[in-house]
Amino acid sequence: MHTASWHSVGMTLDECIKCNVCTTYCPVAAVTDKFPGPKYVGPQAQRFRECGQLKSPDISVDYCSACRVCNEVCPSGVKIAEINARAKAQIVADRGIPIRNWFFGRNEQLGKIGSIAPQIANLGFHNPFSRFMAEKIMGVARHAPIPHWSTAGSFGAWFRRTPRLKSDKKVVYFHGCSTNYYEPQVGKAAVAVLEHLGYQVIVPPQNCCGLPMLNNGEFRAAEKLYRSNIAKLLPYADQGLPIVGTSVSCVLVLREEASEMLDIENDETRRLRNALWDMSEWLRDLLERGELDTNFRELKMIVPYHVSCQARAHRMGRPSLDVMTLIPGLDVREGNAKCCGLAGTYGYKAEKYDIAMKVGEEAFRFVRAQGDDVRFTTSDSEICRWQLEHGTHKDCRAPIEIFAAAYGLYDLDKRRLIQK
Amino acid sequence: MKQIETEILVIGGGATGTGIAWDAALRGLRVVLVEKRDLTHGTTGRYHGLLHSGGRYVVKDPHSAAECIAENRILRKTHAHCIEDTGGFFVATPEDDNDYPDQFKAACAHIGIPCEEISVAAALKREPLMNPHARRVFVVPDGAADSFQATHSTAQAARQAGAQILNYHEVVQLIVKGGEGDRRVVGARVRDVARGEDVEIRARMTINAAGAWSGVVAQTAGVRVDVIPGKGTMLAVNHRVVNTVLNRCKMPDDGDIIVPIHTVAVIGTTDERVQDPEHLTIEPWEVELLLREGDKLIPGVSRARFVRAWAGVRPLYQEHYSGASRDATRDLTLLDHKTRDGVAGFLTILGGKWTTFRLMAQVTLDKACEYLGACKPCLTAQTVVPGVEQGHYWLGHRLHEVEENHLQSELVCECELVTRAMLENAARSNPTLTLDDLRRDVRLGMGPCQGGFCTYRAAGILHEMQVNSEQLTVNSEQLEEWSVAYMQSPAHNAQSRNTQHASRITNHQSPNLLLRDFLQERWKGLLPILWGRQLKQERLDELIYLCLMNADHLPDENATSPLSDFYSRPGISATADQGGAP
Amino acid sequence: MSDLIVIGAGLCGLIAAYTAARAGKQVKIVTKGLGATHWHAGSIDVLGYYPDDATPVMRPLETLHDLTRARPQHPYAILDGTLSDALENFASLTRELGLPYAGAPNSGDNLWLPSPVGAARPTFPAPRAQLAGDLRRAAPMLIVGLRGMRDFYPELIAENLSKQGQRARAAFLPLDLITDRRDSNTAQLASALDDPTRRAKLAAALKQLAQPGERIGIPAILGMDAHAAALDDLQAQTGAAIFEIPTLPPSVPGVRLTNALRNHLRQLGVRVEINADVIGFHAEKDRVLWIESDASGRPLKHRAEKFLLATGGILGGGIDSDHTGKVWERVFDLPLAVPREREQWFRARFFDPAGHPIFRAGVPVNREFQPIDAQGARVYANVWAAGNLLAHADPILERSLEGLAIATGIAAARRAVK
Repeated sequence: MHTASWHSVGMTLDECIKCNVCTTYCPVAAVTDKFPGPKYVGPQAQRFRECGQLKSPDISVDYCSACRVCNEVCPSGVKIAEINARAKAQIVADRGIPIRNWFFGRNEQLGKIGSIAPQIANLGFHNPFSRFMAEKIMGVARHAPIPHWSTAGSFGAWFRRTPRLKSDKKVVYFHGCSTNYYEPQVGKAAVAVLEHLGYQVIVPPQNCCGLPMLNNGEFRAAEKLYRSNIAKLLPYADQGLPIVGTSVSCVLVLREEASEMLDIENDETRRLRNALWDMSEWLRDLLERGELDTNFRELKMIVPYHVSCQARAHRMGRPSLDVMTLIPGLDVREGNAKCCGLAGTYGYKAEKYDIAMKVGEEAFRFVRAQGDDVRFTTSDSEICRWQLEHGTHKDCRAPIEIFAAAYGLYDLDKRRLIQK
Repeated sequence: MKQIETEILVIGGGATGTGIAWDAALRGLRVVLVEKRDLTHGTTGRYHGLLHSGGRYVVKDPHSAAECIAENRILRKTHAHCIEDTGGFFVATPEDDNDYPDQFKAACAHIGIPCEEISVAAALKREPLMNPHARRVFVVPDGAADSFQATHSTAQAARQAGAQILNYHEVVQLIVKGGEGDRRVVGARVRDVARGEDVEIRARMTINAAGAWSGVVAQTAGVRVDVIPGKGTMLAVNHRVVNTVLNRCKMPDDGDIIVPIHTVAVIGTTDERVQDPEHLTIEPWEVELLLREGDKLIPGVSRARFVRAWAGVRPLYQEHYSGASRDATRDLTLLDHKTRDGVAGFLTILGGKWTTFRLMAQVTLDKACEYLGACKPCLTAQTVVPGVEQGHYWLGHRLHEVEENHLQSELVCECELVTRAMLENAARSNPTLTLDDLRRDVRLGMGPCQGGFCTYRAAGILHEMQVNSEQLTVNSEQLEEWSVAYMQSPAHNAQSRNTQHASRITNHQSPNLLLRDFLQERWKGLLPILWGRQLKQERLDELIYLCLMNADHLPDENATSPLSDFYSRPGISATADQGGAP
Repeated sequence: MSDLIVIGAGLCGLIAAYTAARAGKQVKIVTKGLGATHWHAGSIDVLGYYPDDATPVMRPLETLHDLTRARPQHPYAILDGTLSDALENFASLTRELGLPYAGAPNSGDNLWLPSPVGAARPTFPAPRAQLAGDLRRAAPMLIVGLRGMRDFYPELIAENLSKQGQRARAAFLPLDLITDRRDSNTAQLASALDDPTRRAKLAAALKQLAQPGERIGIPAILGMDAHAAALDDLQAQTGAAIFEIPTLPPSVPGVRLTNALRNHLRQLGVRVEINADVIGFHAEKDRVLWIESDASGRPLKHRAEKFLLATGGILGGGIDSDHTGKVWERVFDLPLAVPREREQWFRARFFDPAGHPIFRAGVPVNREFQPIDAQGARVYANVWAAGNLLAHADPILERSLEGLAIATGIAAARRAVK
């Protein structure tokens, strides 16, 4: 047992009444024998684990994709996914980390390096031979939807380069690594929307939230990143400024996951949590306070909305949906798929790629069922967007891109700002 | 009547009695052991599982402490797989006497108990839930012992050396020959409870190792033995909130120890002199006291989920003693009834503790050999029991073995990771009258759901075995191939043994009775701690057995087992028998 | 802003939300997780044993008259005789869902269905797939298990049925007939039988085993999403009546019912906010304005005109307790009817026919299903309560679990939206 305190997530195993609801809904256990199910590897196995044990007794917990469907359906409040994450970390502590997972944990560095010469990097990595070799040597699934480096430069560079709105109303933007290096369009759309609403956007120094490391059991490295982000962001929080993020998973980590998994709960983490917002959640809050410009232009289309597991893990309702439904003409269809399957870096791993695709099938089927006219799908998480595109061959956009388009600021097809 | 001739008859299948049978067999004596129920059904199976370092008694009872540390070192070798090397802390909390820790340290040094003082910070690093306001912490070689597994392994070793172990054989009457001044116990008439037959066992020496029940046994020979039955109540926390044994660094008292054992942590104990060792009642004040004292070692533990409460009874003995059981000596006492009462051929062994069971056996046999003449010296300190090659117990072993052998779908008891084959093999190898017997063998039903899911499965599986074995013949030679010492290992039981070699299932109890008895047995231990999350669990179990199974309306409603009555006696003092409904 | 927020997504909460949504209201369900319905046998127990003396109940609707007279505080007594109406409502809903329940209500007799241990389980309407198991029928039974499945023991069932005068025998089929999974729970086995080729294999094997005139009992794994087709196929291909016997949780019949109800609610525009653990609320005067659920950042507010509490009792999580003997209602901290001392909570026998007093603890309500205090005064003007949360009944003991959930759920929702 990793019991740092009575508030540790591990303690929630005591809530389990063995009722099997989690196992019934687990999308991974449904498609593979390699994962014995959330009850088994979670609250049940946890009673057989302790720190400093002879060896990690079980490694099948590594097949947990961390989608948190188990937490969601559990009627008793067991934090199963977090228990699993900590068991994975114990395995890493005991046995070391595979080189591939070490790389996956360093998404930010990979982003940085690739961005030096993105065309060459894309060509170098995203060709069948390299992918084949990466699978053979490192176990990186060769067909997995690994993103391309942005060839138009990073978001950070764009933000510094272009003139910005000055205003008394200020908001801090946390873009995350993927927006910075792979999808700068999402960040541009976010800035456009925030400025449209009259806010001056501040992009402070920031680093990777640590999610890839948490997912791969590198807790000590993740803790460094978390503490570094606290130091960088807290001064803004203490000024009373909202910090909004477009990556639903980064915000989740900064707000809750990191402190829960790493057992760091103090006044600083609470102050940061109180200042952090998911972009859609913040817009919905503006709406509730009557401060959101709801003068959207018509977007006549059907948009299947895959509610990513990370968005659901926030337990903040469906803020993207709440705002999207205000857009005239937009027929947003909410899906019920449990998970897209990719789940962080899970589906990138060669041994898990097939599982991820089988899990994702429910989401793909939902998209297909909405008809052939569908041009775009949408999802809050970049991971889900890549997997949905991979599984359905339809473009997937972030909700913020749709909002920007509905304000007439953004071209959804070309995925770029409309210059006025 | 069936007759058995032997040299030594041992009465009592606890740690001591089984140890005596082992010791005797190794010395080349013919020995028969009778136990009225299952092995370890009495006090041995109802203690917190501490392997003493001696630290607990080092100030109060140094002689006893010296025995403990010596036996501790021996048992780690002879019964390695039954022992987890948890280590122990002696923690001086702000409430405890300031002078005691220095006395403690000096006494440990004097006796030779390894004892190292560490900083409170270092202790907290190892046990984060420990009281952070502790003043001093000492590390000693305490451990956790699985008394079920150990006793079964000892019994197996005894059998291999030629001993005969008879479970469910209850002494009806000691057979006494001769007149006043020349009386002699020559054996006992015992009742084979499972078959309902009487058996006469003739022995040159009868050894009474019935623990708290020794007085009752001696009485049948007209010998008076006044045991001081000291009831101790314990509570099990749903998971291991600590991985080290935590003791308060003070004179031993109520609620001052927490032992991590298997998947749970046990808070112990109270000490209350009682009249009847058979029917122990757990009083609400005992539960409250244990929670309150537990909070001093681990602040907040009173709000943890508890899965069970139980009480054991210490067979303490002190000639002409009338004080509190807490203050009675823990020393072992061997009564030679020839010199004490003028009854030859009869010894009674009392006192001691689990950790010193081997020594108690040795002392007893040394005395017996004085009377019996030529026998070998004691070999138990140098002989290992079957199963030690597994190495020390570690918490993850079942999980690890289930994983390595892909046995997840075979799990009958999911909480404690008991596979179907473990259950079947245990049922074949040990006489099984109730599912509770299997619980002691493989930990069936000992986890959070307390039999909610596995009672039904176990009853169904045993019923299938009954149905199949009707066409099978017993081949007892092959039975011995399977070692009881491995009964807790999922890997060793990756497959159920060939059913053609079945079966020693003395049990042909109705599966409905098995089910009902076990649910009642679990209920008894739940009542004192049923609130919060465990109450919620119990309500789910109730839904399963009432709504889904309708198991309160099964045929054989009036059937009873030899233990039905025992399970039905209330385990707590006050129940809502006179209504109390809102 | 919703018209009505239902807290809890057990059978009671789902039915209450359905009732209000059908009345044209904007309804939201706020729930911690999915529970209750996944544990039930899937049939609707209305009243199986009379409370206290545990007499078997043959005709529940008639016995109910006695019950309501003898126990005016019992939730059934507050219904004012609308139970049969509620059951009819439920039956027509299940037809709409494609998961029809039938059986007893027509005749008024309880059904007696074989339990997984072979006891006769009194229940009222049951899913179509359980009806052929009715023990009042004379046809002999073949109980078929799957070798290696840990949650089904056909020999035990058959033996106990035989002991009760039924003609029943047991047989086994290999598990790999329907699955190639190494590890499979009942929900996964059920999903496997959504595949027509697998169930054809099962049907062929069953046909081999069965003798003419025998009805066949199998564990309740006959398809998940394609259950209706699976049942039809199997009966057509074997030529025998087939019945399902429910198993340990997760209960497949319960999962089917939950899934169907949730889909239906979604079509009616009811949002189910799952993983929303209610941790606070705000009331002004005698009105609750909003409830708050736990979230990653800040508590999520849910505003509504009215609130219906269907959080369940001790099992559902609506009521909690601690070692000091304190018992409390978890959302609004409503007054409870509960034994005063912890020593009065239990009886010494697990199967005591009179049950355990603590399990009768709950929220007392007035005839409008609104929670009241010890003086009988309504606590909040816009809060209703229903289901197993209610005081003065032990629905598990009297086998009224689902009937009470449905009937009080409908009644409370109707009163809330009127």
